[in-house]
Amino acid sequence: MKFFKTRIFFIIVLFGALYLCPANAYAAGDFMRETGKINVVVGVILLLFFGIVAYLIRLERKLTKLEHQINDDHEWKN
Amino acid sequence: MWWKITSVLLLVYTFTLGMLVPLRPGILTVSPESGLTRQSTVLTISGYNAHFTQGEGQTRVWLTYDDENAILAHRVKALSDTQLEAEFQLPANLPKGEATMVLNCIVDNPADGTSVLPNAFQLKLDSTTMQEYDPTWKAHPVEKLNVKKGFTYPYRNVIYETIRNTYFHVPMWFVLLFLLLASATYSVIYLLNPKPEYDSKASAYAETGLLFGLLGLVTGMLWAHYAWGKAWSNDIKQITTAVALLIYMAYFILRSSFDEPEKGARLSAVYNIFAFATLIPLLYVVPRMFASLHPGATGSPAFGGQDLDNTMRAVFYPAIIGWTLLGFWMTSLRIRAKRIEDKLGGLD
Repeated sequence: MKFFKTRIFFIIVLFGALYLCPANAYAAGDFMRETGKINVVVGVILLLFFGIVAYLIRLERKLTKLEHQINDDHEWKN
Repeated sequence: MWWKITSVLLLVYTFTLGMLVPLRPGILTVSPESGLTRQSTVLTISGYNAHFTQGEGQTRVWLTYDDENAILAHRVKALSDTQLEAEFQLPANLPKGEATMVLNCIVDNPADGTSVLPNAFQLKLDSTTMQEYDPTWKAHPVEKLNVKKGFTYPYRNVIYETIRNTYFHVPMWFVLLFLLLASATYSVIYLLNPKPEYDSKASAYAETGLLFGLLGLVTGMLWAHYAWGKAWSNDIKQITTAVALLIYMAYFILRSSFDEPEKGARLSAVYNIFAFATLIPLLYVVPRMFASLHPGATGSPAFGGQDLDNTMRAVFYPAIIGWTLLGFWMTSLRIRAKRIEDKLGGLD
């Protein structure tokens, strides 16, 4: 369940951040819209990267638990 | 092993070509945006990735009404590579006697090929009316257009460089489909032959499938914010995808809510098969029946026509394979962890 909570929290934060950004008006020096909106692509790639890294961190935690279990001979469980 | 290397190589190819290949030249703005008939007007055209100075003397600029009616600029001057001045003698009236009409702007030169800005210039009738058709409209038809050579991506207004997201946002949905298909397959296998191994495989595939679905949704929202103006505009595909992902989230809640593992595994397998059976209409059938902001969503299949040109296909298909193999790779790690977990008698 923790898995969903962090994900949902992440989506809400992103939603909120996007809500605060100016929508259509082009302002000079607008970081996301300058040079053909290339930074939107950078943003998309970063989101993918962090999503995959989050998955790997979660997997690593599971493996750490399993290692503990092997080393401590089930003592860790309680 | 070979497929992991393939995945890395294809993703390297995707990132390199996806980011480095330039966009085709295009027109960003035309100013002023309106003028009166019978006027002589100088338009300043700003181009994107353009090389106006290279085409000096060969650049032609039109304002077009439709396929047959167009006016050619009688003087064109390149101020810089991306700034162009075009002087027009606007005709005495509009082709079909309208009071006002929005014209498209076409710029053509050998260096950049042809660029179009739709609805670039509004032509209004001045106070003096003239009944008969002005022949200037047909004097210089749009013809002998140049084609840009080289490997470039299409230039689209509003989207601009974000067309590259085709290689990062769109493949997520293909990965989701393949992973969830694998998940449903293992659920079927589990029902035929109830070994716990198949059940944990089904859940691992559903997990990464959901991960890629969420990534697709989130990256889509970011893109939508800058292309459609709003992160969430209740587009039919956004809604059906959200519903499909919620169905899969419920799968994990269902899995975790059983005390007897065997009964739980059986029921979740049945649920998973039904979840996949609803996923297909939700992602691929229902969106075609409604108007959508997504390209290629209505009527014809998404691969058809002008949404994807051949230069983009050369990166898009490898991207799909690369991302999908990455998804399977990540899942295989999860499956191996689960196998150890089961050997040790579970974590919880």
